[in-house]
Amino acid sequence: MSSIGSVSSTGMLRSLRTDLRMAWRLTRGSDRQEWWRMTLTALGAALATGIALAAVTLGSLRGSHRVPVGNELLDEPGTRAGVILALLLLLIPVLGFLGQCARIGAVHRDRRLAALRLAGATPWQVRRIAALETGPACLLGSVSATVVSVVALLRLWDEPTALAWTGVALVAVGVPVLGAAASAVALRRVVASPLGWVRRLRPRTGRGPGLLFLGAFLLTGAVALATVTHTSTGTTGRGYGKTPLMVSGLVVAVGAGAVWLAGATARGVGRLLARRARTASTLIAAERLRDDPWAAARTHAAVLLVTVVGTGFVGVRQVMLADLHGMRRDGHLGMDMGYYTTGLDLTAAAILVALAIVLSALAVGTAEALATRRRGLAALTAAGVPRTVLGRALLLETALPLLPAVALAGTGGMAIGVWYAAITTEYTTPSVPYAALLVPLAVYAACLLAAATSLPLLRRSLHPAELRYA
Amino acid sequence: MSNPVPLLAARDLVKAHGSTEALRGASVELRAGEILAVTGASGSGKSTLLHCLAGIVRPDAGSVTYGGERLDRLPEKRLSELRRTEFGVVFQFGQLIPELTALDNVALPLLLAGTSREDAHGRAGEWLERLGVRGQAELRPGGMSGGQAQRTSLARALVTGPKVVFADEPTGALDSLASEQVMTALVHTARESGTAVLLITHDAQVAAYADREVRLSDGTVSALEVTA
Repeated sequence: MSSIGSVSSTGMLRSLRTDLRMAWRLTRGSDRQEWWRMTLTALGAALATGIALAAVTLGSLRGSHRVPVGNELLDEPGTRAGVILALLLLLIPVLGFLGQCARIGAVHRDRRLAALRLAGATPWQVRRIAALETGPACLLGSVSATVVSVVALLRLWDEPTALAWTGVALVAVGVPVLGAAASAVALRRVVASPLGWVRRLRPRTGRGPGLLFLGAFLLTGAVALATVTHTSTGTTGRGYGKTPLMVSGLVVAVGAGAVWLAGATARGVGRLLARRARTASTLIAAERLRDDPWAAARTHAAVLLVTVVGTGFVGVRQVMLADLHGMRRDGHLGMDMGYYTTGLDLTAAAILVALAIVLSALAVGTAEALATRRRGLAALTAAGVPRTVLGRALLLETALPLLPAVALAGTGGMAIGVWYAAITTEYTTPSVPYAALLVPLAVYAACLLAAATSLPLLRRSLHPAELRYA
Repeated sequence: MSNPVPLLAARDLVKAHGSTEALRGASVELRAGEILAVTGASGSGKSTLLHCLAGIVRPDAGSVTYGGERLDRLPEKRLSELRRTEFGVVFQFGQLIPELTALDNVALPLLLAGTSREDAHGRAGEWLERLGVRGQAELRPGGMSGGQAQRTSLARALVTGPKVVFADEPTGALDSLASEQVMTALVHTARESGTAVLLITHDAQVAAYADREVRLSDGTVSALEVTA
């Protein structure tokens, strides 16, 4: 029996070595797009690891502690729980960014792996090779972030507990494993048939990404809830415990509604304009929206969610500051004003970071969509369609479905902010924070700007030489 | 035609792509060492027939038998193994992996089967030599001409010493000179090694290289003709 086991394990090791070599050869021979994917994946993995490590380290603290950073916000369990929640929420755009990175060159990679199947690779072998291609990038990012975090941890904390170290180890190992697993799962369609490379990809419904998004969000929410409940035990009243959860639920609901609206608008507008378009750019954009109406929803999901959070926060901030000033005037402020404003400023910074991440993901996604369609676009150019027309069509594809979705995200976020302010303020009369409406406007402009960043790539993709390769 | 027992046999194959019926009761046999051309108009079901015979696609009804095994009932793992060891596949274009050199592309089935790198590259080099593209061994597909890429594909299909080569319009994207080079190489090496070839083509000149020709029309075999 032992010899059979040893032969089997030797065979497995040999097979793994072969797959590893194959993955390395494929990576080495990859074009610039593939290297971009790996660099951005490593960056995303580093961000995810860093944020998760900060959250688990703070989560391992029990009771009151003197933490040398954070302006006393991290000292008490109640405020610490808020910071952990913010960190976990920040993970959502980072995961969205990682998802976008995984999509770079996806169609090309699908074809390549289908070609491997045609040459005799088994479905399992193809999944393993795909995982081995993505895993090292995630590992690199994760290791870099872990090293930096551990050094920082040892400087800030004399003797980290066993619980803290366990959390650090789990995150450091978990991020690359999850990244590799996600890339293997993403290949389920190709693995089904070696002919994947000749099949036209059907437009996807919004159900798959929607469910994935919802699943990931529910998981993060559950972890956040468990952490907050655990960390803040005995420090907050019953009413205060429920309100943040209701706010979170409303944010998810409005965000999901905005994502759905983006897809539904793309489908409706695409159908309508395809029949009535009078210009070439409108017709191209309409046909593209009709062909894959959920593309815009998938690409902008994280942006819309951050818009809801951002608009809501600006409203809450305005009302809370007014309330704090009222409390100070009446002499009811328990701590220094800086204690409260630091929390608000840190939240604002976290939202800005999240916005920056999702806008980067958006730029990556737009560039990826363009790279995927380069043959079709090159064919249009070869047929005489001017470059400016294609550029306008590209911007319209972003602008049309996003307009109502961002409007819904903005008004929904503001409504949540007004409601939250109304039930929590005591020293001032809540007013409608119209300034918060600047957030969706700014986000919409930034989205168009992100789409415009891909225009230089459009110029390169339109070369008729792109038609040479399948 | 000395061996009457077919190596590969399809009986009453039915296959639909959505609402379109590509095959409607097609039957065909391929004997060991035989070169069989399947011809027919565009949309007649030629490629679908090849995909069913090579175990790439499962038919909706009917049977495919290879060496006594029912291909249409084999698990995916065994089908992958057959493609790696006993079948070779050549398409019009696209089956070469752009990231790999010609040498790595040809060595691919051997590497996937666990052959050592040195052996795999040695055998791949020999096949590139035989097909006249040894000089392109370190080039990637993007840097080769259509004819060179197709001869590299052929080398990949033959490197494992397969019993059957499935060729779907192998010269469809080539000029007449390159077509002749590819077909001569395919027929010559198949005859030399006793490999059976199932050749899908719409070109009468290409079909003339075969021992036998089968015509497909609307998903069924409409005529049988011995050409050599």
